[in-house]
Amino acid sequence: MNIIEIKDLSFSYSENLHALTDINLEIKRGEWISILGHNGSGKSTLSKLIIGLLKADKGEIYVDGLKLSEETVHDIRRKIGIVFQNPDNQFVGVTVEDDIAFGMENLCFSQPEIENKITEYAAKVNMLEFLKKEPQALSGGQKQRVAIAGILAMSTDIIIFDEATSMLDPKGRSSIMKYIKEINETGVTVITITHDMKEAVLSDRIVILKEGRIIACGDTIDVLNNKSILNSSNLELLLPLQLLHLLEENHQSNEKLKDILWRLSLNK
Amino acid sequence: MAIKFEQVNYVYPSYDGPAFSALKDINLDIDEHGEFITLIGETGSGKSTLVQHMNALIKPTSGSVTIYGIKIEHDTKAKGKVKLNPLRQRVGLVFQFPEYQLFEETVLKDIIFGPKNFGVKEEVAIERARQVIKHVGLSEEYLSRSPFNLSGGEKKRVSIAGILAMEPDILVLDEPTSGLDPKGRDSLLELFMDIHKKLNKTVIVITHDMNTVYKYASRVLVMNNGKLVYDGLPTELFSKDNIANWNLDIPEILDITYQLEDKYNIKFPKVPASLQDLYELIKEVIL
Ligand SMILES: Nc1ncnc2c1ncn2[C@@H]1O[C@H](COP(=O)(O)OP(=O)(O)OP(=O)(O)O)[C@@H](O)[C@H]1O
Ligand SMILES: Nc1ncnc2c1ncn2[C@@H]1O[C@H](COP(=O)(O)OP(=O)(O)O)[C@@H](O)[C@H]1O
Ligand SMILES: [Mg+2]
Ligand SMILES: [Mg+2]
Repeated sequence: MNIIEIKDLSFSYSENLHALTDINLEIKRGEWISILGHNGSGKSTLSKLIIGLLKADKGEIYVDGLKLSEETVHDIRRKIGIVFQNPDNQFVGVTVEDDIAFGMENLCFSQPEIENKITEYAAKVNMLEFLKKEPQALSGGQKQRVAIAGILAMSTDIIIFDEATSMLDPKGRSSIMKYIKEINETGVTVITITHDMKEAVLSDRIVILKEGRIIACGDTIDVLNNKSILNSSNLELLLPLQLLHLLEENHQSNEKLKDILWRLSLNK
Repeated sequence: MAIKFEQVNYVYPSYDGPAFSALKDINLDIDEHGEFITLIGETGSGKSTLVQHMNALIKPTSGSVTIYGIKIEHDTKAKGKVKLNPLRQRVGLVFQFPEYQLFEETVLKDIIFGPKNFGVKEEVAIERARQVIKHVGLSEEYLSRSPFNLSGGEKKRVSIAGILAMEPDILVLDEPTSGLDPKGRDSLLELFMDIHKKLNKTVIVITHDMNTVYKYASRVLVMNNGKLVYDGLPTELFSKDNIANWNLDIPEILDITYQLEDKYNIKFPKVPASLQDLYELIKEVIL
């Protein structure tokens, strides 16, 4: 069953700026999908269309069976949490604690529940000691962690992460990715927008955008190994696969080596 | 010496709650020429706070930072002999969030703002803008766009272009590659490397990407909890067990190398500097 269906969707910011053209995409319930593509390819625009922050020029979006429209946008937003690319766009409160609470308040969580979840999720992103601080007084990566906590705490069916870990240190990033994997395993549908192939590897499926069009959509393992498609949208092969391609182009590989390099690529 | 930190402490003031000590006893020398420095460390370790001292955007709570002979201390005021404007032209700082740097109606106005502010003629500044916009991988058409209506990565590129147009003597970039697509990341790093090599300027790059550190840095600084805990060669850094202690990651090339050594129970005769190197080693030792 598809939780998101996008049909013939097009969107322009202005007459000569076509950000998305003829997008068709189906996302299954419980799936983890990555959206990749060069800067300006339309990734964030697509996510804003899905939550109804932007209105399509053409085409339709269905979320959990509901067709997105002025009447349904409120119901749809209750199903989708989005961590924005710039965490500052998400902060409205005076303290970190207010900001984590904000999304839950919109979903009418009870006050005691909100309080419990603030601590629970601040702990998950390692920000417990910062609850009383102003969000503006945080480092870049700390802001991203707060933004992530606030959205996770809403426990929506679908979560979109728009380059949500771009400023985290490697350990912080992998702990967030591990957590995303966990919630995905409990049935949450996950969309991650990223430039990092090591993150994309974790998802079930990869969509690649180029100049507002989908140029590839398929199982992670297939898209991951498609050098020409990746390169055409400013992306790169994972390093072990770059090595494997180099070896194979020079007829220098063997099964054992190939196996090791694939395992390294897939983090196994 | 272009920039010298002496016993620098920095405490973020707070109206309620305890003040926060973000830099602790930093001593550091930065040369005007010939360095490609990467600055790494955990989220919140003080990297951005440190680099904002390099062009006197913030002043040390105690200790001093001397920038091109001008000593900046806690009570230094920008008047009389102490002029901060020239310092800001000589030490160009690109912020972590491009939004902090973009405020004009058009990309062009944003890029020429810095140079004009430092006395460059408008025509010259415009010509520079035409050049730098291409250097950061955007077409000239972007010059007439509003900086607020750009994608995240495009904003990042414009904010870098604005500092490049100032032609500073030292280029300091706070996470310039976060949010860039992989090709953009590589070509901008090559651009910084070019500036470093051809114009013999010092470049300082904050990053979380160990591959960048391994490939480009001649010197690496590691911050941990407000302290400068490492200042030296990248190769030494990654050969020590510092990695685990400081939340560091290992460069991927080394990771693959060590894994192969492990799986084949061998030891390569040297540590590869690049993918091509590793390829040669594999041919020599494994195949
Ligand atoms: N508010 C806006 N007004 C006008 N044009 C915009 C606006 N936001 C984005 N654009 C343009 O739409 C296109 C797609 O932008 P979008 O933000 O979706 O890209 P993206 O794939 O998320 O890029 P990045 O990797 O840099 O975040 C780009 O050409 C961009 O310049
Ligand atoms: N304006 C501010 N007010 C108070 N504390 C701050 C402010 N900016 C940063 N900090 C704190 O100082 C520490 C270092 O921040 P920063 O230099 O931005 O870290 P980094 O760049 O290494 O991620 C962090 O713990 C952060 O919360
Ligand atoms: Mg984006
Ligand atoms: Mg920072």
